[in-house]
Amino acid sequence: MRRLLLLVVAIAVLLVFGFIYYALDPSTTGIFPRCGFLSLTGYKCPGCGGQRAVHALLRGDVVAAFKFNPILMIAIPWIVFCLFVESRRTRNPRLYARFNPDLLLLVLLALIFVWWLLRNIFNW
Amino acid sequence: MQYWINHNGVQSGPVDIDGLKEMALTSRAYVWHEGMTDWVKITELPELQGLYEMAPEDASAAATQAATAPEQIPAAAESHAEAAPEAREDARPPREAVTGRPCQPLPPAQPAGSPYQQPYPYPAAQPQASGAPVQPKPKSPPTNLVWAIISTLMCCLPAGVVAIIYSVKVMNKYNAGDIEGAERASEVSAWWCIASIVLGIISMPFAYLVPLLGQ
Repeated sequence: MRRLLLLVVAIAVLLVFGFIYYALDPSTTGIFPRCGFLSLTGYKCPGCGGQRAVHALLRGDVVAAFKFNPILMIAIPWIVFCLFVESRRTRNPRLYARFNPDLLLLVLLALIFVWWLLRNIFNW
Repeated sequence: MQYWINHNGVQSGPVDIDGLKEMALTSRAYVWHEGMTDWVKITELPELQGLYEMAPEDASAAATQAATAPEQIPAAAESHAEAAPEAREDARPPREAVTGRPCQPLPPAQPAGSPYQQPYPYPAAQPQASGAPVQPKPKSPPTNLVWAIISTLMCCLPAGVVAIIYSVKVMNKYNAGDIEGAERASEVSAWWCIASIVLGIISMPFAYLVPLLGQ
């Protein structure tokens, strides 16, 4: 019962944000939050361009979405899958352990750092 | 009705009846739900009949008190590995198997995500007669990796990276058998996720101010 409520709330929030990001373009509208890291240091963070990427994706422009933030585009399907595994943790601990191996986590960490570095060097 | 299950030393729950159906339980499982004073064998709850399979030692009456149980258990059946130590404990509630401490399942009011702080009622599995050691592992604490990744990508803060590092530590320690360490790392990573999100929200006004100051 509590899980169902949580699911409904999550879907409602997703729909609201989905509509906002569909209707308004973050590159021209000022109401969207800006990256604190970029403003303070002048360097992009791993998530920079994410809002514009989501906007482009919702408008169906996958190529533009990848240009704004490829790592987020790769991460979205993976995050959805991980949330599913996470929700099955008590019922299916073996599946959980299989998709949370420490090697995978280290590779992910390295990937994020390399992406962070490269995007600031080549201005991606 | 929400049930807590202890099956082969692995505790899980709360789950409802539908959840129990998916769990491939045997008659060796112990069950607790709110209002009960102690764990009982699943066979003793009338509403759960038909939701489990008969374990070998329950099927044959001879096995219930036999110290010679290991020879009677098919070596190939991995899931029946701990039948031997358990057959001896059969008559007693599981909590007495390891410690004298009471082992009540968490009441639902306690914070979710910490059902690991209680002792596991079963002794660790002993190697089978065939020599193949089968260790039942308690399930891993949450790694919080998804939340760590989300907070790193969405909140622009290094705190998310620290959360990821602790997520990695959870599985590292869990795989090394350090369940307690894994629990601690799990908690730390959860706090870093929260810190990352909170810092992200706090820093947003500053992100607007900095360009203004630069003008």
